[in-house]
Amino acid sequence: MNKSNFKKLVAVVQSNSENTARISEQTSGYVVSENGSDTVMQTSFDNSTAVGIVKHLNSSFVKLAQSSVRDLDPTDKLCFLRVVTRKFEYMVAPEDSFVVTVVL
Amino acid sequence: MSAEIEEILKRYSNYPNVSGIIIVDAFAIPIKTTMEYTLTVHYAALANNLLAKGSKMVQKLDSSNELTALRLRTLNHELMIVPEENFFIVVVQKPCE
Repeated sequence: MNKSNFKKLVAVVQSNSENTARISEQTSGYVVSENGSDTVMQTSFDNSTAVGIVKHLNSSFVKLAQSSVRDLDPTDKLCFLRVVTRKFEYMVAPEDSFVVTVVL
Repeated sequence: MSAEIEEILKRYSNYPNVSGIIIVDAFAIPIKTTMEYTLTVHYAALANNLLAKGSKMVQKLDSSNELTALRLRTLNHELMIVPEENFFIVVVQKPCE
């Protein structure tokens, strides 16, 4: 089940290749990671940076933000998260099975 | 100086999209708010928690970087949290579609 899910997700990412090209031109880069296992599916960074981003940002922080949002209102759901730092801005879009992070 | 702050708060809270503005001190106690109290305390606690974890995470990723703002967009609203030295500000607004 996991392998077919993965293949489906890769297909979705590849079908959005036009957007992906535009994103990689205009921003510092992107990371697409799978939700369940916190593995990196596609990235425009080198692997160690991407894994670092996923490990620190996605797995713990996004889940914390999602649970805070649901704590405030059980029907609500986190759609988008923007972490603005001094050097860049991380834009995180969590979906059901994967998370897309773009570093601006 | 406090009158200036009140005026600025009033001006921003009168914007059609803004649901509320909360100013929280360093101990996560709300000092000024335009929303009802229980909700304010709830937002302040959550914002404090998110800011603490967020700034720690940013430092871990790059020790010279630091967190300047957080924006959470949910289905029903948009929550903006900005940390400063001794306090932080939380603004809740309705997302414009």
